[in-house]
Amino acid sequence: MDRRTPPLTDDSIVVTGLGHIVDSPCDPTPYLKVRKNRKFMGVQDDLAVVATGIALENAALPQDLGEQAGVFLAVGYIPFERSDIDQLLDGSIVNKEFSMLRMSTVGYHSLNPLLTFRCLSNMPAFHISANFNVQGPYFVTYPGAGQFYIALDQAYHALSTGTVDIAIVGGVAHQRNFLVHHHFGRVEPPVHALSDAGACLILESAAHARRRGATVRAHLSQYDLHYEPHDPFETSIVPHETGADSGMGPASLPVALNRNRQPVLSHDLVAADGIRASSVWELL
Amino acid sequence: MRRRVAVTGMGVVCPIGHSTEQFKANLLAGQSGVGPITLFDPAELPTRIAAEVHWDGANRLRDRKIAFALEAARQAMDSGRPHGEGGLSLGIGLELFSMPDLCAMRRPDFAMPAGLRDRLTFLQTPSDLCVHMISNEHGLRRPPLTHVSACAAGTDALGTAFRMVADGRYDWMLAGGTDSMINPLGVGGFCRIGATSVVNDQPERASRPFDANRSGFVLGEGAGMLLLEPLDRAFDRGATVVAEIAGYGNSFDAWGISEPHPEGRGAYQAMARAVKDAGITVDEIDCINAHGTSTPKNDSVETLAIKRLLGDRAYRVPVCATKSMIGHLISAAGAVEAIAAILSLQSHCIHPTINLENLDPLCDLDYVPLRARRYVHHVTLSNSFGFGGQNASIVLKAVHA
Repeated sequence: MDRRTPPLTDDSIVVTGLGHIVDSPCDPTPYLKVRKNRKFMGVQDDLAVVATGIALENAALPQDLGEQAGVFLAVGYIPFERSDIDQLLDGSIVNKEFSMLRMSTVGYHSLNPLLTFRCLSNMPAFHISANFNVQGPYFVTYPGAGQFYIALDQAYHALSTGTVDIAIVGGVAHQRNFLVHHHFGRVEPPVHALSDAGACLILESAAHARRRGATVRAHLSQYDLHYEPHDPFETSIVPHETGADSGMGPASLPVALNRNRQPVLSHDLVAADGIRASSVWELL
Repeated sequence: MRRRVAVTGMGVVCPIGHSTEQFKANLLAGQSGVGPITLFDPAELPTRIAAEVHWDGANRLRDRKIAFALEAARQAMDSGRPHGEGGLSLGIGLELFSMPDLCAMRRPDFAMPAGLRDRLTFLQTPSDLCVHMISNEHGLRRPPLTHVSACAAGTDALGTAFRMVADGRYDWMLAGGTDSMINPLGVGGFCRIGATSVVNDQPERASRPFDANRSGFVLGEGAGMLLLEPLDRAFDRGATVVAEIAGYGNSFDAWGISEPHPEGRGAYQAMARAVKDAGITVDEIDCINAHGTSTPKNDSVETLAIKRLLGDRAYRVPVCATKSMIGHLISAAGAVEAIAAILSLQSHCIHPTINLENLDPLCDLDYVPLRARRYVHHVTLSNSFGFGGQNASIVLKAVHA
């Protein structure tokens, strides 16, 4: 997929809001429409809600978006904390071996039922929808920086075809936990510098932004997205990223855009999963 | 100019069939695939039943859902490779971890396996490996799309692929879903939130969508894959067109984390968007393959949403629930159920909703209870509604050359 966007016109897709949060814990309370949902939220949910809330404020949009807004989100690998795993494991072992009988009578009952909600990949999208009343379409993917580009591509198309007026495009990754550390410790080369991060862009057409008096903050002037099929058991692709912090998973590019203070941001990505992408953003 | 999108290949591995022919025969016979869990000893877990896939090829990899998906993709591609560059759109389940491997990590002499393959499959296999294995095997050179919208993921994968092909962004796509959560953590996790049926003494009767005595879903496993390409190009290359995907819509409930909007707002929006996208009227819908989970809340709310969509016609349009036979395949559900719907369109026969013996007063539509029905139909709406309020629907049409 190659896209070279012509100079800014009414049909151009522009960024009107930016929001990000790096490192946890972060407090989503100011953005919670439904306070009782707080107990269901894991770190990735907190990051997604806070980044979206900041971006909507930055875009001067209401926090009640309705049917004409959609969510296009890339979520990192499934997180699980060591303490939660230890609790389950302690109740599932007999003589240093796993015992299903013990798990079903002891470990199972120690399992916090809310854990199910806190690690699911689709839950950050749920919390964005519930707290900002987004009823439009969605695209929820995982697990890396390449998938952020795919979410971005889907958002562009949804805006270009008029399927949505507002696209919330995000990347969120809770990575400082047992399960994600385990994953990145076994790949070649291992990745040790991992951050928890969430970042969000608000996209809309230039015409839509002008009609509502929004400030255009950035414009994607060029992007490429390619893929190299490979056997993941036989081939290790060494990941490489310039223009962004590669330890942030799918949040790397949107965090870089949030932090950028230069007139142009160029981003290049060779992801371990065979995705190759690049983009050039003009900051306005 | 949007292109019409044909389905020219299908592959399925599910509890009642490891090929489309076997699946169709068992669907129309009303065969239940639910039984006692044999993949592990559930011991004293509240739920000890599931709809398992009993297929020899499932054990070649430690991750069953990857084995299912690879096989379903091979079946779908058997119909012949379309012209141009292809891509993959796959709904895929969670990478749950292995409890025995977790125990092993606690031992003082534990060391990670040496080879890349053994390391990547130890404790948990990253689910996204599946898309790369399929892409590599079939030379799919366009960036793969991985969908993690839970129970809606299979339909989202089909719907997104439909749009990509219709808009000319991809020449053709393999699309579908795969999942297997029948393991200690998967079954335990669903039990812990009270989502699954505990009718352990009568497994084949446990999944009973729309029945007054339904008590939760039955976990299933499997994969479904469909080959999508432009209709005109399919005819040009002499491919057999089994159906057309004509429209797709999805929506958020923006409501409860584990309960649908009480009026079925999101479900209605997804269905209405799919119908609008297909360029048809609701009067043209003559069958619905329901999400129909057999949970108390879903089935009555889905009924409400269908009534809102179809109006008075709702009582005359057959609604069937494939999950009554195969259980809930989670991320694979939408893809396998789309195949069920296409097989019904082809055979002019709607598969039954089995175990529907006592209709819930809140579920008062025609759910094709107990036995398959001869019925010539042309347009089926297929629904998938996910945990977390993510809803997806697609419109499937019979194609007459």
